[in-house]
Amino acid sequence: MGNKVILLGNEAIARGIVEAGCDVAVAYPGTPSSEILPAVAKFADELGTRTAVEWAVNEKVAFEVAATASFTGKRTCAIMKQVGLNVAADPLMSVAHFDLAGGFLIVSADDPGPHSSQTEQDSRYFAMFAKVPCFDPASAQEAKDMVFDAFDLSEKYRMPVMLRPAVRVDHCRQDVELGTVKDLARKADFKKDIRRWVCLPAHVKINHPQLNAKLDTVREDFETLYGRYNFEVPAKEKPRLGIIAGGVSFSIVMDLLKEWKREDVSVLKIGTPHPLPVKMVQDFIARHDNVIVLEETYPVIEMQLPDRTKLKGRWNGFVPRAGELLPEVIRDLVLAALGEPLPEAGVSELKAAIEEMKVTPKPPMLCPGCPHRASFFAMRKALPTGIYPSDIGCYTLGVNQRDVDTTIDMGASLTSASGFYLAYKTDGKDQPVVATIGDSTFFHMGILGLANAVYNRHAFVLAILDNSITAMTGGQSNPSVGEKLRQGDEGRRIEIEPVVRGCGVSFVKVVEPYDTSDSAEVFKEAWEHAKANREPAVVILRHPCMLLKQKQARVKVRVNPDKCIGCKYCTNFFNCPGLPFDETAKKARIDERFCVQCGVCIQVCPHGAIEAVEGEEE
Amino acid sequence: MQYIIVGLGGQGILFTSRVLGHIAVSRGEHVMGSEVHGMAQRGGSVISHFKVGDYSSPLVLTGAADLMLSFDQNEGIRNLHFLRNGGKAILNVHAPEAMENPHLKSFLAERQIETFCLPGYDILREKMGGRFLFMNVLILGAMCGASAGNLSMEEVRDAVEKLAPAKFKADNLKAVDLGYAHFAGK
Repeated sequence: MGNKVILLGNEAIARGIVEAGCDVAVAYPGTPSSEILPAVAKFADELGTRTAVEWAVNEKVAFEVAATASFTGKRTCAIMKQVGLNVAADPLMSVAHFDLAGGFLIVSADDPGPHSSQTEQDSRYFAMFAKVPCFDPASAQEAKDMVFDAFDLSEKYRMPVMLRPAVRVDHCRQDVELGTVKDLARKADFKKDIRRWVCLPAHVKINHPQLNAKLDTVREDFETLYGRYNFEVPAKEKPRLGIIAGGVSFSIVMDLLKEWKREDVSVLKIGTPHPLPVKMVQDFIARHDNVIVLEETYPVIEMQLPDRTKLKGRWNGFVPRAGELLPEVIRDLVLAALGEPLPEAGVSELKAAIEEMKVTPKPPMLCPGCPHRASFFAMRKALPTGIYPSDIGCYTLGVNQRDVDTTIDMGASLTSASGFYLAYKTDGKDQPVVATIGDSTFFHMGILGLANAVYNRHAFVLAILDNSITAMTGGQSNPSVGEKLRQGDEGRRIEIEPVVRGCGVSFVKVVEPYDTSDSAEVFKEAWEHAKANREPAVVILRHPCMLLKQKQARVKVRVNPDKCIGCKYCTNFFNCPGLPFDETAKKARIDERFCVQCGVCIQVCPHGAIEAVEGEEE
Repeated sequence: MQYIIVGLGGQGILFTSRVLGHIAVSRGEHVMGSEVHGMAQRGGSVISHFKVGDYSSPLVLTGAADLMLSFDQNEGIRNLHFLRNGGKAILNVHAPEAMENPHLKSFLAERQIETFCLPGYDILREKMGGRFLFMNVLILGAMCGASAGNLSMEEVRDAVEKLAPAKFKADNLKAVDLGYAHFAGK
C-alpha cells in the first residue's frame, strides 16, 4: 500500500538511507547537502533503527569514519557537499581501490549555479577520477530509489558507490513513497587481511587492475540491468532531434516536450553517468542525425564517448560551459538545436519599469543583530590598515563591510594570514593581518593552520567568531556546541581556548563583540603582542547566533536627523538591514521591519546621530 | 497549477510552500517545488517554485506561472516575467505609488496580468503588533480573499492550523483572516 508524504529531496535521500539498513551515517554540513543527516537521525528515531548518526569535524573525517565502519560488513554512508568531497578526496582515491565488505555510499551534493558554494564543480568527475560508479537522480523519488541500488551495487562489487544529487533535487519538495526498514541484522565482523585493508604500493599493483575489472563489469550492468534509470523516451514521429539528458535537466526536458506536445524529439535518460553505458548511448547517437547533451555541470557523459563529432554539448560550447541549466536555458538550447526561432520574451516594458524604478536583486547580508557585524566593525576600527583574510561561513558576508579581503576555502583564513605574513616579512615590513574564522570552520580545518603558524612563528591576529553554531548551513552542532543528533545521544563540548593554548598560542582573550570599543582595544593589544613575540595572537569574539533566538536586552534606537550628515559611514562599515540609507532624505534611517533592537549601531555613528530612544529599553 | 513565491530571506517562504503542498496532497494531487536554502537565505532575494499536477521538474519556466505570491514589492516586480498571460499576482506593497509606473502598467496590460496589492506591513503593524513574520500567512489569506488560484479559505485555514507551531496557531489564523478580509467581498 502506498504511503506518500511530501519530502524535501534531501529528506527522501535520508529516508532511503535508513530504509536500506544503513548502520553508520556521518556528514559535515554544507549547502545543498545539510538537511540529509538531521533527517537520517529523525527517521532513525521514528523507525527505531540502531543507526549511528554523527556530524564529523570535516568531510575527510566523515569519509574515513564511514568507510572504515563498512570494513566490518555493515552498510555505511558519508554525506557532504561537492567542495566537501575535495576535502575527502584523499580517502576517496584510496578506498576506491579496496575490496570492501559492507555497502559504502558516498552522497556528494552538487551546486550548479552556484547558489551557495565557491565552485560549481561536478562530483561525477570525481567519481570518474576515483573510478567509482555514480548515480545521478532526476527527482527526489528517484534519489531515494537510487540509494537502495547504490548500496546493492556497492555490495555486489565490494566498492564505494556515489549518489550525486544536484541542488534542484536536494531542495525540491515532492510527494515521495515511504517504505519499511530493511532489517539486515548485521554484526560488525572485521576480518583482518593486510592485503585488503592496507594500501601499500605492492597491494595497489593488484588492486588497481581489480578496480578496472570491476568498473568494466559495472558498465555492462549499467547497459542492461538498470533500465529504470537509463531509458529512452522515443519520438512518436521520425525524430528531428535526440536529447541525451541526466539529472534534473531530464525532468525539465520532459516538462517542455509535454507542454509543446512535440512528437519529433526522442530523449535518452542517463541516470548512471559513470561508468557510462557507452553502447546504449552510441546506439542512440547512431539513430539520430542531430543530438544534444544536457547534463550538469561538466561534460561527463560527453567525455566518456569516443566519438563526439555529432554532439552538440558543453564540449564544443553549444551548451554553455558554466552556469545552471534552468528551464529557459534548456528551452532555448533545444529550439536552437532544432533550428527553430526562440519565443518572443515580451518583457521589454517590464525591463524598462525595473530600470526606472531601480529595482535590483537584494544580495544576502548578515542578519540584523548578528555578532559578526560588530566583530568586523571593531576589527577595522582597531587595525584600519590591516589585510583581512577570511573563511567559509556566514561571516564571508563581511565583504559587505569591506572586511573580507580573501576567501579560498575552509580553513584558509589562517593559512592566508601566514602567506601574507611571509610575503611582507621578506620585505622587512610589519603588515597587520587579521584572519576571521567561525567556530565550526576552526574545528573543520583551522587548527592545522594555527599549529603551522605557531610552529613557524607567523605574526598575525586570529579572530575566532564564536557564535556557538554552524550558522550558514542552518544551525548544525559542532564540537564547540557538543550536541548530537539522535535522541538520547550525548556529545562532549570542546572549549576553544584550551585548544588554542594547546597549539602553543600565549595570547588568548575572549570578548563580547557587542561592545565594539572593548573588542577594538583587544584587537590592538593582540596585534602588538603578535608583532613583538612573532606568533599568532587569538581573540575569541563570543556571542550566540541571532537564529538561536535567545533572550538579550533590547535597545530601541532612532537616527537623529539633525545629527546625521549623510556620510554613509554606517551603511559602508556596519551594513545592517535594519539601518538603510534613505536616498531621498540623504540620511540613514531605522527600518523597523528588520531592526532587532540590538543597539550596537549606537556605537557606530562618528557623529552620535544614532540614539537610544529613552524609556524604551526593555 | 504553477506558483512562484518571492520575497526576502527570513520572510517564511518555505512555510508557504509547505501549506500549498499539504493542501495539494490532501486533494490527492502530485506536487513538486524548488526551495532556496543556505547563504541566499540570509536576508537576500529568495524565490520558491511550486507546481501542482503532473510535472517532472520542480522549476517553473519563465512566462508559465499561474500565480505569484510576493512578500516584497521589489522582489515581486523583479519576478513578474514568470507569470503567464492572464496570470495573477498577490503583492505585499510598501510603496503603492511605484505600482503606477507606466511601463509596468503597460507590461501588465499586455500580458493581462491581474495584480492584487495589499499594504502588508501596515496591516501587520496595526493588527498584529508589528510582527511581520506573519506576512506569509497574511498573503495566503489574501490569495483566498482575492479568489486568485483554486484554493478555498477553508483548505488554507485547515492547513495552516495543522502546520503552524502550537504556540502561534491562533496568531497565524488571525493573519490568514486579515489577508482574506482585505480582498473578500470587494
